[in-house]
Amino acid sequence: MLSSVRALLAPRTALAAAGLAALAACGPEPDVVIYCALDQVHAEPLIERFEEETGLTVQAEYDVEANKTVGLVARLRAERAAPRCDVFWNNEIANTVALGVDGLLQPYASPAAADIPDQFKSDADLWTGFAARARVFIVNTELLDPTEVDSMDDVLAAQFAGMAGMARPLTGTTLTHMTALYSVLGEAEARAYVERAKALNDAGELALTSGNATLMKQVAVGELAFGWTDTDDYNVALDKGEPVAAVYPDQDRGGPDGQPIEGLGTMVIPNTVALMKDAPHPDAAKRLIDFILSEEVERELAFSRSAQIPVRASVERPEHVLSAADFKVMDVDFEEVGRALPKRHEELKELFLD
Amino acid sequence: MSKPLVSLGLALLLGLGVLPLLVLGAQVGLDDLALLGEARVLSLLGRTFALGVGAALIATVLGVPFGFFVARTNVPGVGILRPLGAVPLFLPSLLVAVAWAPLCDLRGGLAATLILGFTTFPLVALFATRAFERIDAARAEAAQLVGGWRASLRMELPLIMPAALAGAALAFAFAVNDYATPDYVSSVGVKFNVYADEVFSSWSQLNDPGRAVAKALPLIAMTLLTLLPALRLRRRGALATQDGTFRRPAPYDLGAWRWLALGFCLVPISIGALIPLARMTFEAAQGSALLEAGTLSVQTMGANLSESFGLAIERARGDLLNSVVFAVSAALIVVPLGLILGHAIERAPRRAGRALEVASLLPIAMPAVLFGIGSILVWSRPATADLYASGAMAVLLYAGRFLPFGVLLLSGAVAAVDVRQEEAAALAGARPAKRLGRIVAPNVLGSMAGAFVLVFVFAMRELDSSILVPAANKTAMLRLFNGVHFDRDEYVAALSLLIVFAILLPGLLWNLFSRRRLAILP
Repeated sequence: MLSSVRALLAPRTALAAAGLAALAACGPEPDVVIYCALDQVHAEPLIERFEEETGLTVQAEYDVEANKTVGLVARLRAERAAPRCDVFWNNEIANTVALGVDGLLQPYASPAAADIPDQFKSDADLWTGFAARARVFIVNTELLDPTEVDSMDDVLAAQFAGMAGMARPLTGTTLTHMTALYSVLGEAEARAYVERAKALNDAGELALTSGNATLMKQVAVGELAFGWTDTDDYNVALDKGEPVAAVYPDQDRGGPDGQPIEGLGTMVIPNTVALMKDAPHPDAAKRLIDFILSEEVERELAFSRSAQIPVRASVERPEHVLSAADFKVMDVDFEEVGRALPKRHEELKELFLD
Repeated sequence: MSKPLVSLGLALLLGLGVLPLLVLGAQVGLDDLALLGEARVLSLLGRTFALGVGAALIATVLGVPFGFFVARTNVPGVGILRPLGAVPLFLPSLLVAVAWAPLCDLRGGLAATLILGFTTFPLVALFATRAFERIDAARAEAAQLVGGWRASLRMELPLIMPAALAGAALAFAFAVNDYATPDYVSSVGVKFNVYADEVFSSWSQLNDPGRAVAKALPLIAMTLLTLLPALRLRRRGALATQDGTFRRPAPYDLGAWRWLALGFCLVPISIGALIPLARMTFEAAQGSALLEAGTLSVQTMGANLSESFGLAIERARGDLLNSVVFAVSAALIVVPLGLILGHAIERAPRRAGRALEVASLLPIAMPAVLFGIGSILVWSRPATADLYASGAMAVLLYAGRFLPFGVLLLSGAVAAVDVRQEEAAALAGARPAKRLGRIVAPNVLGSMAGAFVLVFVFAMRELDSSILVPAANKTAMLRLFNGVHFDRDEYVAALSLLIVFAILLPGLLWNLFSRRRLAILP
């Protein structure tokens, strides 16, 4: 027994531990490092294909859904003194813009992005958007006829009290969505919308879930009849055979008196990719960005379980994935949304975290 | 005490555990602190405090009788009840919440309090069990003779309450730092916001780090203010009834009531561990789908289980291996370090020992996300870039974060070792390092194994700080939480069970192959 105790205390124990750690860490120096907020299950095969095609080794690090991009964005800011990330692949846009505002990105106009519409590109080439998700209503078709909901106001309507929900708008695409509403609707109207949502939750009439995936699951199992989510979450439920339908709200439609009502459009949030400032491997990083922005990757993401919407009309997609040309897209100034994000986040936090 | 060893220990405690907090604290300005007086912040703190008290109360109500039954009575199956009683603590509370959600309609603050109470009850149970075991037979018999049960209770309760309250304080600290469980269980109905939400949310827009750190200070203070009295209580509880003539009391014969006692003990174990694990197994076997299709049978479930586990092992093998290597390496660092510092706490002059004890608490008093960010700021520098990018960084992260478990556990164990043995060895010419290795360590071997297991368990299930540090990204917990979103339920359930099995494995192996009991408490 004494010998085992001595072994535990001996300096060689520490050396063994260091050896074990080194063993876990060993491997070649990567050619390029990417931080990826798109779910690992979708991004990993694409990164591996890039490695096969180019012979470059990629060190990819992923965020988790529960963290809603916060982990990677916080890490990028904390690593500012000694950047190790070359490419940031965000699954939304507002935090990417905010990183650009903070001076953490450097311009790169990828030739692969030439046919991507300008509305999805940074004016200063700091980031490029692709493969988008739409903010839709997921509806449980056993509980509600999807044609009964077509406007963002329906989620707050009295007739759906206790039946509807949304993610608490403090992180992820829901935060981006609500921030965009301030830009599109104006301060007063957007503020009234989020305040009404909070008041309804206080009355137990509107669910505020921990995230879009949770909301999707609650609609799928019938705890809620409908609510805001992203198209990738909706597609997961559809793929599992759940009784759900997606509604793209706020399209142009006919009013009760037959007069046409111009809709605000459905919010679309693209993935974004950006070259980090002082990236240690800029050349390989640019090759990786070119690959990520290729039509081929947009196509793969459209056919994946996340059913991302190609921002290029020319990209092939499955039947159940709409093109951005198939519905009215909310006209959003993403630069403005990104700049306003910290302020709106603070306001929403004060409202929803009490 | 060996000065070189203690200096090395202090340097490692500072570098791995305390420096991340100091680096962050330096960014806080006076303006940032003014934010803490906001009514909204105070309201969140009040609710979080209530949640912590509620969870601690439930843990105490369950843990004290549990400790009494397994330590002092002839409850059936006591040999298996003891280790089973610790299992709820080893399951991430969010997994327990997810497993219970389809089985129970309870939501909101009450659900959060119950889940956190049931998953932290082992903390009180462990402390209470140990305290009940340390009541001297002579005292118990005397009380019994004088006034029967009532006199026994009057004598024993004051003796075990310090230990039980120490466990309750730890349960409180765990509960107030959890944001995922309250968030998840209030996804329907009125939202139940807690202060840890505020801390997490502040990090999401980190363009003002000072403000974000300031927001975390009340939670750190609340945790420290709970843990410090817990340490004092633990010390009193651990030493109150020991002297040289100690004799373990015979177990009370409960007669037919022992079955009721067994039922009582099984309630928290079932709610906190067995039912969630059964639910995960059912999910992994695609039980719901089989039930719906009318094809539920042992064979079909077995085939599905085999398929789900096969897929989980195929996809997550590398991450599981990483998790195990990181956790084992961290535990191997913490155990000797914990022994050195724990010994110093007990044998140093009183004030220095107490100061070291408080310092060693800091890493665990910090919210995990804060500790992760602090570690990045400390290690992500040009001079340490290679280390930062390597797996060693994950080991350092876990070793720093969970060092308090090793230090506190082993300081308690050292307190129970008769100092005269060391003095005799010193007179015989043994140097301090030799005395530590040959006199102290053999006496606390069970506690060293306990510290190893505890650090291993918490490193295996760590998520929040792992997300932030690149080297800790390729771990099983990250793979699991990525899978929760997009992967199929049976795969996620199988992976959860694999992780739980890996977490429990060292403790199981020790109990199977060692004649000594694993000592989580001295």
